[in-house]
Amino acid sequence: MTLLSHSARERVRAAPPKGRWSPFPWVYLVPLLAIEGVFVFAPLSSALAVSFQRYDYFVPGGWIGFDNYIWALGNSGFLNAVGVTTFFTAFATIFTFAFGFGLALMFERDGRSSSLMRTIVLIPYFISMLVGSMLLRWVFSEDAGLFGLLLESLGVEPFSVFGDPNTAMAALVANAVWRDSAFAMMLLLAGLKSIPSSLLWAARVDGASYFYTFRRIVLPLMRTAILITIVRLVIFYVNILTFPLVLTGGGPNGATETLVLWMFRRGFEEYAIGRANAASIIIFLINIALVAIIIFLFNLGSKRR
Amino acid sequence: MTLKHLGRVFASLVVYGLIALAVLFPILWGLLTSFKPRRAILQYPPVMLPEEPTLAHYQRLWDEGVQHFIVNSLIVTSATLVLSLIVGLFAAYALARANFSGRTVIMFVIIAVMSIPIASLLVPTFTMLSQIGLLDTRTGLVLLYTAYQLPIVVWMLMGYIQTLPVELEHAAMIDGHSRLSVIVRIVAPLSAPALVAAGLFIITFAWNDFVVALVMNSSVATRTLPVAVYNFLGFFGRDWGPLLAASMLSIVPVIIVFIAFQKHFVSGMTGGSVKG
Repeated sequence: MTLLSHSARERVRAAPPKGRWSPFPWVYLVPLLAIEGVFVFAPLSSALAVSFQRYDYFVPGGWIGFDNYIWALGNSGFLNAVGVTTFFTAFATIFTFAFGFGLALMFERDGRSSSLMRTIVLIPYFISMLVGSMLLRWVFSEDAGLFGLLLESLGVEPFSVFGDPNTAMAALVANAVWRDSAFAMMLLLAGLKSIPSSLLWAARVDGASYFYTFRRIVLPLMRTAILITIVRLVIFYVNILTFPLVLTGGGPNGATETLVLWMFRRGFEEYAIGRANAASIIIFLINIALVAIIIFLFNLGSKRR
Repeated sequence: MTLKHLGRVFASLVVYGLIALAVLFPILWGLLTSFKPRRAILQYPPVMLPEEPTLAHYQRLWDEGVQHFIVNSLIVTSATLVLSLIVGLFAAYALARANFSGRTVIMFVIIAVMSIPIASLLVPTFTMLSQIGLLDTRTGLVLLYTAYQLPIVVWMLMGYIQTLPVELEHAAMIDGHSRLSVIVRIVAPLSAPALVAAGLFIITFAWNDFVVALVMNSSVATRTLPVAVYNFLGFFGRDWGPLLAASMLSIVPVIIVFIAFQKHFVSGMTGGSVKG
């Protein structure tokens, strides 16, 4: 399709030569850059500034150096929240990843039943997180009577799921798995589909068992998809607020109070804005460190093999 | 052989059914319960189907003014949709078609915003919005949602525009169309599938968002539906009927849209690369 002569095409080339400044791209990019600058980068830098000030309610009270950080790092609630978040993130990631992988293998084929099932399992992911957690709160509650009925049939004395630290945490993990397994499934399916089927057929012809093929061909070729899935799950869970806020309220006695929930309460229940900003910066740094660690571990794993 | 095949079909049917039940149970039970009268809800042992279905809980929500919060959510969602798509389309076009120094920096900014967790922005954003007078306004919420969704929107649209033949745009320009008119008359219509996919993501994000709205918009006048549902949790306490009814008002529209447009949703999920 050569509608234009070469020289004409040269003249109307959409992209001006690199190096010569032209207003064209910038005019169209200014709104994007302005919005991101004001609503993402300005708050982020102001968080840094405010974190070094005494700042309660809406009143700045002078520079106090690292006091907010020192206060946070020595606060028993903060340390508890670090432990809770680590525990929750570890278990939620493991289970969500495992379920997601199982679902991906199960619904990999392009059939009507597979695509119907993919749609069904994705529903919890697309509905409001708040409502998802609230529905589970209802299902697990004593008022619903369903859980009590289940325990009774198992011969266990009924108890409150949210009253016991261990079962409250288990409910929190269940909420995560229920909502996000299908999300992991979608990311892993993209990896599965990128494996050339000729490779799997060749292995089959050579008499390789299913598990051998899985371990030696499927898993190595899915490294990137697996890495992306784990990074996205870990980052999502480390920054979780809605699940504990709505499902367990952080209880009992702080047993499910995650880092962001702790920060949220300092900021919006106590209005200790300076301290909450310091916590925001700490959480931000934890995120960066985590991504670096996960990628480092993956590279280490690949070198050893 | 056929018997074995039949057995396998039956086994997978059972497994599929159990998975679907586990996934949908909380939603279905919530839906059924929202139609039960109060005493049937607290009945033990619980009964699945509502024996005397009632709309009393929905009526109660209406009396509490739930329609006001739905309107707020609709306003915020549609404004976010329009603003994000317009700003996103122009930015994506510039990034897809122009080769300029500074492009790498902008791509870096886009990826950086995509990876910054919203949680670490909540507190400083709250402070900033209060300083510029946008705290507790629908405008503030729209601008925040736009800022959070633009990177993925630009990413999706840019990838799509790159697959469009540039010759069409050249031809139109030779015919005397300005670049602006090329974008509006040629690029935008051709990018319809990517615009739909990006639009669905914007809609679900803005309609579902709870955390940002909870922090920024606390007054009754600007409250969106999810924050209203959360406040009902405190207001109705253990009166589950209206709570579950409010939950259904929030999720049923999303489920319908999701099922109707599932292909577009799925194409946008895996990292934002949409291929026609």
